[in-house]
Amino acid sequence: MDIQFVGENLLPGKLGQFFIILSFCSALLATVCYYFATVSSHGDSFQKQTVAGWQKIARVAFSLNILSVIGIGSCLFYIIYNHLFEYHYAWAHSSKTLPVYYIISSFWEGQEGSFWLWTFWQGLLGIIIVLRGRTWENSVMTTIMLSQAFIASMLVGVEVLGERIGSSPFILLRDAVPGPIFARPDYLTMITDGNGLNPLLQNYWMVIHPPTLFLGFASMVVPFAYAIAGLWEKRYSEWVKPALPWSLFAVMILGTGIIMGSFWAYEALNFGGFWAWDPVENASIIPWLTLIAGVHVLVAYKNSGHSYFTATFLVMISFVLVLYASFLTRSGILGETSVHAFTDLGMFWHLVSYILVFLILMVVFLVIRWKDMPITKKDEETYSREFWLFIGALVLSVACIQILATTSVPVFNAVFGTEIAPPPNVIQHYNKWQVPFAVVVAFISAFSQYLKYKRTDAKKFYISIGVSLVLAVFITAAAVYITKVYTNFMYIILTYAAVFSILANAKILGDAFKGKWKLAGSAVAHIGFAFLLVGALIAAATNNVISVNNTGIGFGDEFAKSNNPRENIILYQDEPVKMDRYTVTYKGDSTEGVNTYYKINYRVIDTVSGEIKENFDLYPNAQQNVKMRQIIASPDTRHYLFHDIYTHVSSVPLKEEEHEDHEGHSDDENYEKPVNHEVNVGDTVRFREGFITVKAINRDAKVQNIPLSDQDIAIGMQLEVNSKGKTYESEPVYLLKDGSKFDFGKKIDEAGLKLRFTNVFPDKDKLELMVYQKPKVERNWVVLKAIEFPYINLFWGGTIIMVVGFILSIFRRNKELKQSR
Amino acid sequence: MKKSSIAGLIIIAIAICVIISTYADSSTYGSFSDARETESELHVVGQLNKEKELFYNPQQDANYFAFYLKDNEGKECKVVFGGSKPQDFERSEQIVLTGKMVGNEFHASKILMKCPSKYTKDEVEVTEVSATTAKI
Repeated sequence: MDIQFVGENLLPGKLGQFFIILSFCSALLATVCYYFATVSSHGDSFQKQTVAGWQKIARVAFSLNILSVIGIGSCLFYIIYNHLFEYHYAWAHSSKTLPVYYIISSFWEGQEGSFWLWTFWQGLLGIIIVLRGRTWENSVMTTIMLSQAFIASMLVGVEVLGERIGSSPFILLRDAVPGPIFARPDYLTMITDGNGLNPLLQNYWMVIHPPTLFLGFASMVVPFAYAIAGLWEKRYSEWVKPALPWSLFAVMILGTGIIMGSFWAYEALNFGGFWAWDPVENASIIPWLTLIAGVHVLVAYKNSGHSYFTATFLVMISFVLVLYASFLTRSGILGETSVHAFTDLGMFWHLVSYILVFLILMVVFLVIRWKDMPITKKDEETYSREFWLFIGALVLSVACIQILATTSVPVFNAVFGTEIAPPPNVIQHYNKWQVPFAVVVAFISAFSQYLKYKRTDAKKFYISIGVSLVLAVFITAAAVYITKVYTNFMYIILTYAAVFSILANAKILGDAFKGKWKLAGSAVAHIGFAFLLVGALIAAATNNVISVNNTGIGFGDEFAKSNNPRENIILYQDEPVKMDRYTVTYKGDSTEGVNTYYKINYRVIDTVSGEIKENFDLYPNAQQNVKMRQIIASPDTRHYLFHDIYTHVSSVPLKEEEHEDHEGHSDDENYEKPVNHEVNVGDTVRFREGFITVKAINRDAKVQNIPLSDQDIAIGMQLEVNSKGKTYESEPVYLLKDGSKFDFGKKIDEAGLKLRFTNVFPDKDKLELMVYQKPKVERNWVVLKAIEFPYINLFWGGTIIMVVGFILSIFRRNKELKQSR
Repeated sequence: MKKSSIAGLIIIAIAICVIISTYADSSTYGSFSDARETESELHVVGQLNKEKELFYNPQQDANYFAFYLKDNEGKECKVVFGGSKPQDFERSEQIVLTGKMVGNEFHASKILMKCPSKYTKDEVEVTEVSATTAKI
């Protein structure tokens, strides 16, 4: 039974699906053709025409692949941009209220969109290889196109032998989600809006962070492909030169992407920090570290002929680890160990096969070419740069193994059926290991700059680093004192190592200005890295929760003792609270769209003069979802040069559903249900905040603007109201006019009361008094957490300096590459 | 023997230590009855008992949040958390607590929730769709 659905726009989906299939097939074809082009250029029956023929087909296939990738992107964008909610992707990730720039982020919120991003970048990098790769094109592109085919297969979403391969972004809502409404031909008229973008991702960093990160991931394939090509074509040492600028590019972009993610977390999430050692973060930093190590040994090999195997291995394993990272984040295996991994889209084994194929490729080439590899039998000199580059790379690798081991606990559990839980205090666990590694790396990054390749005069070496070593002692002492990290011995050592690295590399940089420009890039990058280390250390070690609250009542001292410091504080509107050196006041809230912004005023008041030295407002916001009775909070941060004040709300009073105005709106709705009292003169009536006494009856009451005739009766009830110690007078009036009853109530706004004299019971000798009381006014409040992050700008600044260093190095290595041709 | 080989061996030795330490540092998943028997922190997985009241009154204490959790063995225990109530808490399907028993209460130092997020799962979304239908 086929239903003719009304209003669906199926063309972009069909077209998109066609492009997906085309991109997969063309990538596969390009792989095969590039493979034969490479093979036929080496065999005995070498024929220029055959090679050229294969290459030509491969290039056509590759062009088709690029076109279809762009086609997929265009179709998907068209669907999201035009809110075609008949498509699951648009419905699940976007909504009509999203501004255009967030529509771009909703494009890559889902797994499918992020795979597209990856394949797009990989294709773009492929174009550069085709244009500039010269003799490397065929062999390098074979690997890249194989990877391209794998990613395309993740998007296919077609069932083969009962198994769905990949997940297509063009799947229709009615196919993806079961539901009775899809039996109706006009179901689309009922789907008025999509689910929208996760509010946490509605941040400008989410527009730029994923593309950067995925460009980083995608560019890791290039050095890998060069390494494979080098082994495959037996051009063992040749591949190092072109791979070097690519590796630098990959680490630069990936590093930037990771730190952007860290900045986004710091600015938009409320976990209170910039790095949490979450598995998802770890997954991306592991390949970054291995390729950083790889870059250093590539340089060592290029200049000395040592460390060939280490260099090749590290470059290759980096890409395999990228694949492992995407497996960790996309397969759902992280389960309960990570806060922000994707959920499983049923691609577990698909992702595993992607890793395995490239891992096997790597191992096979390393094994079959083992004997031919240019591995030196000579021993390195202790005082040589190559030796310490090698050691540095090894230390970085071990640091990686540590992160990898802990991050992989869920994988270990899945493979061996164990039930190991991650360490209770994850951050402490990582820091325990990573701080010493960082110390060693910082030291090596400093002194190895003073070593020459092959052999260095030890005496000269010690003299040249001696000054920096001594000077660093004094600077460290000052820095440690100012930043208060002296509580932990390892922290002091790390600060010393980083300061030493900054000084030593600054000296190299000074020489660079005098003409020895070669080391400028590495010096700048090392300085940036050292600043990053110091910044991370100080900000993480001395960040200070200033919203400490010890006023917990009623839960016993036992609880308070074991839970110090108590990091959330309640602020009532307009009641200043002293927090650290700040006087903090909650000033009220305002709602803009879905977000409610809480205005928090911070002041520093000089205790002696009473002068206001600092005065600023922060607007942490929260999205309230009345139906779900929950809030989603985002922080606001005041940035200073030397510290940040970071603030987010942890809890706020939930707003009631908006009370809509309607006809027949009466004043009484502002009050609670009235209470009737039958009273006489002298009686006292209680209400919540006080009591009312009936003083007297005024038989001669007047009502404004109403003339009274002789038959009419107007009686006033003279009341004395006592509310919270204050006394008010009031006189509601009862009126009998022309045989009809009226009453004229009186309000006492200060006491939130309305009083009506509504009836007279002559037989009982009683009068009826109705007391209306306004609902108790809840004082507005927010629960707030505020953290001071000292010197965090060193962390961000260090990153920027490091990236500049990478750019300089890329220019240098690229120039060398051109000169060598 | 080459110096680099020696360095390599030392590094491998350190790497092994690292891995061993990872598993030494690691904790275990357990139940409330396991938690009663041990002094150290452990992870307890369970579901929120939605019938019992969640206690969080920031006006009284912004850092006291208590609720009842049923662990995977079906045992229920009062859990106390020294912080504010996490966002989305009521909707959690599964909760992983890190902490230890203090008397008859489980004092959690960390709460991790798995929620049927509006943004990743389809089932919850369907109810929203049908709610729209009902309106028409």
